[in-house]
Amino acid sequence: MVATDTPATDLRDRRSTRIPAKRRGSGVNTRREMVAGYAFLSPWLIGFMVITAIPMLYSFYLSFTNWDLISNAGQYVGFRNYVRMFTQDPAFWNSVRTTVTYAVVATPLKLAVALGVAMLLSRPRRGVGTARALFYLPSLLGGSVALALVWQALFSRAGAINAFLAWFGITGKPWVNDPQYVMGTIVLLGVWQFGAPMVIFLAGLKQIPRELYEAASVDGAGSWRQFRHITLPSLSPVIFFNLVLETIHSFQIFTSAYVIGGGQGGPVDATKVYTLYLYLTGFGESRIGYASALAWVFLLAVGLLTVVFFRTGRFWVHYSDGDER
Amino acid sequence: MRSVPTTGTPFSRRRLLSAAVAVGLGAALTACASSGPTEAPAPQVAAMETGPVELTIFWWGGDARAQLTHQVLALYTQKHPNVTFKETWQANAGYIDKLNTNLAANSAADIFQLDDNMLGGVAARNQTLDLSNYVAAKRIDITKLSSSLVDYGKVGGKQAAVPLAENTPGMVFNKTLLTSLGVEQPQIGWTWEHLISWAKDVSAKTNYKTYGTMDPSADYKALWVWLRQQGMDFYNGNKLGFSEADLTRWFQLWKDARDQKAAPPADIIHVANAGDVTKQLVVTGQAATSFMWSNQMPELAKSTKDTLGVVSYPGDPKGQWARAALYFAGNAKTTHPAVVVDVMNFFINDPDAGKILGTERGLPANTDIRTSVQNSLTDPNMKATVDFENQIAPKFGPAPNVPPNGQSSVRTLLITEAEKVQFGQLSPAAAAKEFMEQAALKLTA
Repeated sequence: MVATDTPATDLRDRRSTRIPAKRRGSGVNTRREMVAGYAFLSPWLIGFMVITAIPMLYSFYLSFTNWDLISNAGQYVGFRNYVRMFTQDPAFWNSVRTTVTYAVVATPLKLAVALGVAMLLSRPRRGVGTARALFYLPSLLGGSVALALVWQALFSRAGAINAFLAWFGITGKPWVNDPQYVMGTIVLLGVWQFGAPMVIFLAGLKQIPRELYEAASVDGAGSWRQFRHITLPSLSPVIFFNLVLETIHSFQIFTSAYVIGGGQGGPVDATKVYTLYLYLTGFGESRIGYASALAWVFLLAVGLLTVVFFRTGRFWVHYSDGDER
Repeated sequence: MRSVPTTGTPFSRRRLLSAAVAVGLGAALTACASSGPTEAPAPQVAAMETGPVELTIFWWGGDARAQLTHQVLALYTQKHPNVTFKETWQANAGYIDKLNTNLAANSAADIFQLDDNMLGGVAARNQTLDLSNYVAAKRIDITKLSSSLVDYGKVGGKQAAVPLAENTPGMVFNKTLLTSLGVEQPQIGWTWEHLISWAKDVSAKTNYKTYGTMDPSADYKALWVWLRQQGMDFYNGNKLGFSEADLTRWFQLWKDARDQKAAPPADIIHVANAGDVTKQLVVTGQAATSFMWSNQMPELAKSTKDTLGVVSYPGDPKGQWARAALYFAGNAKTTHPAVVVDVMNFFINDPDAGKILGTERGLPANTDIRTSVQNSLTDPNMKATVDFENQIAPKFGPAPNVPPNGQSSVRTLLITEAEKVQFGQLSPAAAAKEFMEQAALKLTA
């Protein structure tokens, strides 16, 4: 978005002009500022190093070993973990398939619902604030275990959903206990939590100048054309932002798959998504080396996907400041 | 492990060695003399401590077990005021993951509960306290335990754990339902084919509201019993003890049962396959039988108003065996091995502890305590369980070896492959083939 560009250039300008000026003054001040800066940063910095950076690098090393969590250090096995993953492990490909299925179905659906509801709620009407809060509520519950359990109960063979369907003479399916349907049930849970992108869409919609719509309606554009030619292009940076965020979010699906799949990714591995497979490998089977390799492949894949998004984004994301990129 | 213990000195900590006293050594020497001409090194056992000791203890189970275990520990503290306990317990799900993580982080409890699915793995990594010397020194008294039960706690020749209780595979059935339908109750010695044709009849009589039998094709213990009845075993050392053709026959047997509607559809079976006692079909009313361990019957009974009964699995009862229902194992890195061992001994051999524990974990391992507990039982379900075990005991086959490292993965794999057949994704033969291929990897990994 706009905000990310301008400060960066600003900073570059400042550095080129002001720093030499400061150097002529007392160097002590700068150093003192620097120390103070790092001192204030240190809680975060230490946390980042100890909790994130060092374990991450360590896991990179582990991915080349066969460490089993028990012996002090595994043996170095070179690329064996990586080779095995791609050539000998059907469970790996199954987890890729389930995760990609989830992401490909859930992300666009969730964004579409979020945008639709945001448009309904963007006009000032009575009670719209309450409605927004209500629609946002499911997202506050986040990836909670309790929610997944409720979902499981609702959609089970004798659950409320099937009881409801029975009123209309429809025989319900075992939504959570049949490999054919369970992924759909989980997708639905993910889509239902559309509050976060909805709020961002709401903010984006407010930014679109009213005059554009007025001018368009004077020119005789119907509501579909207004949506297609005003709302979508004006909103494209926000859509892009939501798309990247929600895609990454979808790939990280764990809690709902873990709970609804009974902890093992059942029935028949239909819910054994990538992160769950990683967890089961690492902490269920104690194959930390292999799990680390899985984690790194995952990181690279998601990173790569994000790069692809940014590259293709050029062709459909329009920035209103006329920044030709 | 930093130091792999050799047979003679399981505890390399000098502190402990220096604490070893004549009592332990004396008893050990006698044991050594009786063990024949083998050059067994003098068992070295740590002395009982008198200073204040706090032990951590970790198990899985329900509220009832937590209460009973707590009472026994309190009783121990009463008799040994210097020893106190920090108790941690949780549900079965995730237990072994947590234990493994704690063991790896050197933060595991001094005493922890295991079952035969876990013991092989933990003991293979030398994370259990080697109890052999303590048994030899009579610090753990096994004279009142059946030898097959004690042997079922040995891994690689070492006494890796002590059995807390005994059980055996037991098919639980809904007595109330069968009586109201006017059908015969299952008997010891029915063939599997007979069970299935009987179940077909039950399903039809309930108009397919309650199916005749659970389909245990995903259940390793049912497969195990079935294999043993044919002179095979689940494991042969670190390998599978059966062939792809055998497994195909097993899957086919149950596919036919489902096709005849003797067993319920796949999604109903799936819920029970995870093993949660409260979701077993015999208590949810979706099937007339469930394949369990005998000691689980009283617990099952809590989830239903109907009266339950228990009988051996179909087929020749020689396929059944006296199984250590649960074990206590000591942490190999505990700093209080002597107290750990004494607490274990207390759980097994103390009459008062036995009275408190009852049959919650299974029949008491100590036969004297078993008799006295049996005579004082009031719960009809516990009585039925005991009667069943006494009835079947003379027909038991020999105990198998403790399943090897990798058992948990193989068990999960069996569920996955059996469900592929249940949901119609694979034929019995194709699923059996996949199982054999992947199980081989799990057992060598």
